[in-house]
Amino acid sequence: MKLREILSRASFFFGRRSASDLNEEIQFHLDRAIAANLAAGMTQWEARRCALVEFGGVEQAREETYRQRPSWFFETLLQDARYAMRGFGRNPAFTLTVIATLALGIGATTAVFSVVDRILFRALPYADADHLVSVGVVQSLEKQEFMLGGFYYEWRDNQKPFVGMAAESTNPYACNLVESNPSQLNCVHFQADFLPLLGIAPALGRNFLPEEDRPNGPSVALISYGLWKSHFGLDRSVLDRQIDVDGTPARVIGVLPEGFELPTLQDADVFFPLALIPAAQQAAQNGGIGQPMRAFARLRPGLSIAQATAQMEPLFRHTQEAFIPAPIRRDFHLSIRSLRDRQTADVQLAAWVLLGSAAAVLLIACANVVGLTIARVAAREREFAVRSALGASRLRLVSQSLTEALSLSCAGAAAGLALATGLLRIFVAMAPTGIPFLEKARIDLRIAGFAVLLALASGVVIGLIPVWQRPRSLAFAARGVAGFAVGFSKHGLRRLIVAGQIAISMILLSGAALLFRSFQNMEQQNLGMDAGGVLTVRLALPGFHDAPVAGMVSRSGPSHAEIYARTEAAMRRLPGVRAVGWSESLPPGGGFQNARRFADFAVEGQAPPEPGSGGAVRYRGVTPDYFRALRIPIVRGRNFTDEERDSKLQFIILSRLAAGRMFAGKNPIGQRIRTGTDGTWVTVVGVAENVRNGGLADPDLPEVYWLRRNVPADWGMPVPMLVVSTELPTKTTAGWIRAQMAQIAPTVPIKIDTLAGQVGKLADRPRFETALLGFFALTGLAMAVVGLYGLTSYLALQRTREIGVRMALGASRFAILRWMALEGSRMILLGGAVGLCAALALTQYLRSLLFSIGPRDPATFVGVGLLLGLAALLATLIPARAAMRVDPAVALRSE
Amino acid sequence: MTFTKSANSAPPKDLLQETLLQGTLLQGTLDLLILKTLALQPMHGWGVAQRIQQVSKEAFQIGQGSLYPALHRLEYRGLIQSEWAASENNRRAKFYSLTAAGSARLAEELAQWDRMVAAIGLVLGEAVA
Repeated sequence: MKLREILSRASFFFGRRSASDLNEEIQFHLDRAIAANLAAGMTQWEARRCALVEFGGVEQAREETYRQRPSWFFETLLQDARYAMRGFGRNPAFTLTVIATLALGIGATTAVFSVVDRILFRALPYADADHLVSVGVVQSLEKQEFMLGGFYYEWRDNQKPFVGMAAESTNPYACNLVESNPSQLNCVHFQADFLPLLGIAPALGRNFLPEEDRPNGPSVALISYGLWKSHFGLDRSVLDRQIDVDGTPARVIGVLPEGFELPTLQDADVFFPLALIPAAQQAAQNGGIGQPMRAFARLRPGLSIAQATAQMEPLFRHTQEAFIPAPIRRDFHLSIRSLRDRQTADVQLAAWVLLGSAAAVLLIACANVVGLTIARVAAREREFAVRSALGASRLRLVSQSLTEALSLSCAGAAAGLALATGLLRIFVAMAPTGIPFLEKARIDLRIAGFAVLLALASGVVIGLIPVWQRPRSLAFAARGVAGFAVGFSKHGLRRLIVAGQIAISMILLSGAALLFRSFQNMEQQNLGMDAGGVLTVRLALPGFHDAPVAGMVSRSGPSHAEIYARTEAAMRRLPGVRAVGWSESLPPGGGFQNARRFADFAVEGQAPPEPGSGGAVRYRGVTPDYFRALRIPIVRGRNFTDEERDSKLQFIILSRLAAGRMFAGKNPIGQRIRTGTDGTWVTVVGVAENVRNGGLADPDLPEVYWLRRNVPADWGMPVPMLVVSTELPTKTTAGWIRAQMAQIAPTVPIKIDTLAGQVGKLADRPRFETALLGFFALTGLAMAVVGLYGLTSYLALQRTREIGVRMALGASRFAILRWMALEGSRMILLGGAVGLCAALALTQYLRSLLFSIGPRDPATFVGVGLLLGLAALLATLIPARAAMRVDPAVALRSE
Repeated sequence: MTFTKSANSAPPKDLLQETLLQGTLLQGTLDLLILKTLALQPMHGWGVAQRIQQVSKEAFQIGQGSLYPALHRLEYRGLIQSEWAASENNRRAKFYSLTAAGSARLAEELAQWDRMVAAIGLVLGEAVA
């Protein structure tokens, strides 16, 4: 029965029922009524009249019945669409302009959305990811939550706010897969309940068993999908295969799903069990603190992060009192953050700014299209009046307008999607490392859906605003009266729209100008060193990381001291090489840079600093040539000497900032300082000029340089890299370095970078943000100016006769120009003033993105105001000038 | 949809009654009347109009034109079905009859109508026949 009903409905929908059926039905009714009336004794004429009166409007009933058809809505839509297409075909210039404008707005917004989607909106690839948090302590040297084995288990076993808690090792480390074709991979360890916590099941095989997550348990490993594909050709027999990682065999028990990412977003190919024993962790291990790890937890349903933090506070207090040594106790804080914040907290603001500015461009684009459509509707007023007179309801006219707008905006969205694909390529080329997930950004169904939503929203705006007002007197419009009589309010609306565009442009321009000047400041700042001609050479010696990893100790490092010595000697012999030094990291930042607590440095003869005070100190192990290579001047005392490299004593050089902080104006040269907890005394031999060492934008840290001596202990930690300064082109020298290394250590892969390149990369993100916002601001300005120009020319054209009358009455050409320009200025001033206020309020939020420039920098705002005012004034003066040249005689006869 | 009260019916007593008569109730009421009429026997449009007028003792005078949109709407909804057949005077006419879904709907509507009348009676504090 249901099926029959559906079928019968479908047949109404598709089948064309002839109109004659209905006519016959109605005719039958009328005939019967007439017959009845005749029978009641009426005359033929009267019977017919009464029947018709009783029936009501025959045509109305027919229309109304026809409207009951289920397909009526679509038929109307189709009719409207066909009509719209004919209209567009007659006016291709209008159509193309509108589609291009919308494509630009929708394309830009969609492209930016695809970039920021993963940062701001898209669900993280874990089950119910909104409840996942990163839990741990933070301190001045480590701002990401971490935990130590010494207290992890106490927290895990006594916590209340979480359903579960699991940990992974702090950092993936380089490991070698020793197989037929050896390759270097990243390995990481996590607990057996780590994957279940995230809600991830292996794509193949199984997760670790509890008995495998234990020291000396069965040696098993999980591998990433990528490794399975690249190394094992997606062969399912990889399960139970023995693989050899760093000389230890392990059995592969599973493959992680494609697209799995660690909550820390670090790359890893092979996963081992963390294999910790709670009791051993809580007892002395790793100097009494236990294994460092990153812990993640799942909030109980309905619990907020603030509530969870409050509930964890007692456990943290206990750890603070019982576990963390008193001197550094106050430096530790409890931190619980959502996984999204853990991954992208530092770019969320930038992402919102970019998305907002793209949306602003879309808004300006829509405003332009609305302006164009209003003009078109005004030109079609007569058509609307005629249709209205023929019985089209207001709803019908609005739906016609909506259909037209939606077809335009959908075409715009299609073009916009193509544009977005192109823009995305440009973004990726511009800043491969600037924004997280940028390289993974794709135009997929979700993004396309977003574009469609934008199209619908802008279509509704474009379709409704022009027909919002009731059409003016039909008779008036139908006669085609124009000129003086054109309703003011419609132009008032257009004026408001143009003023709004100018306001939005003002906001965009201010933001872009601030970011641009901040970027300039960043690029032009004095780094305190010369990156020109400096090469860094990293040797991936066995057991080392090819990239410096936070605080890692190389067990085999000391045995490499000899290779380092031979390498240094070989580099010195190269022609054009000015200096060959060692360090483990280079300013201004961008990778790992070692640091210590200020309070760990006790000056001989002074009271030790207040525990936990003073923040962090940059701590770098260098050789004498480091300062020569980077051209860092020694301002007091002297550089390290080569003799000191053979000494049994230890020597340091302080940065000017560090010397000032530690010695407060006294001469530090020759003074001794005790570093760290090991109680050795080191002698200060010099003071070096400050160098930017906290990244490009963050404030400088005091810096302590310790001398790497020719003893094996000094070459293990942190992993050293070579700093070579050359007077020849860096490419030439890099080639020679490779050749030399091929002789000294032919099997060791090396990585050579220029310091200038690394510094440039640091500015990738500000460059990306500045370029994008600048592009949006200029696009917005251009569209706003075009809108203003269009409105002024339109008004001028509409008023040709008025201008003629004024001139005939004695107005000078200049007076006409002034009249038009004044009218334009009103819009510009209104929009500019509103925009300025909004910009002053909004740029506050940019503060953290700005470098050495205030969010209300007066010079920037004055400059932006002038630029906008000038462009806008030109956009009014050009059409006004054309209006001024009208011949009064022609103008008067123009209607 | 025109569905006017005839001149001799009593003017609305108060706001509630007025609302019920002019509001959403009316369209539903016409549908209900049609279903009820067709429940007796298949009938053509003219017959339905006559029947409603007779049964309501001329209290409701349908703008007969508004009957056809309602008939077609009910047919599209599958509550009634139609076929062309010879009428009493041997002319071709379109006869409507209730479908199974229509009968079910009618029963449902009647029950609801009873409930509503009872409720209105309670509100007005008098028994409404």
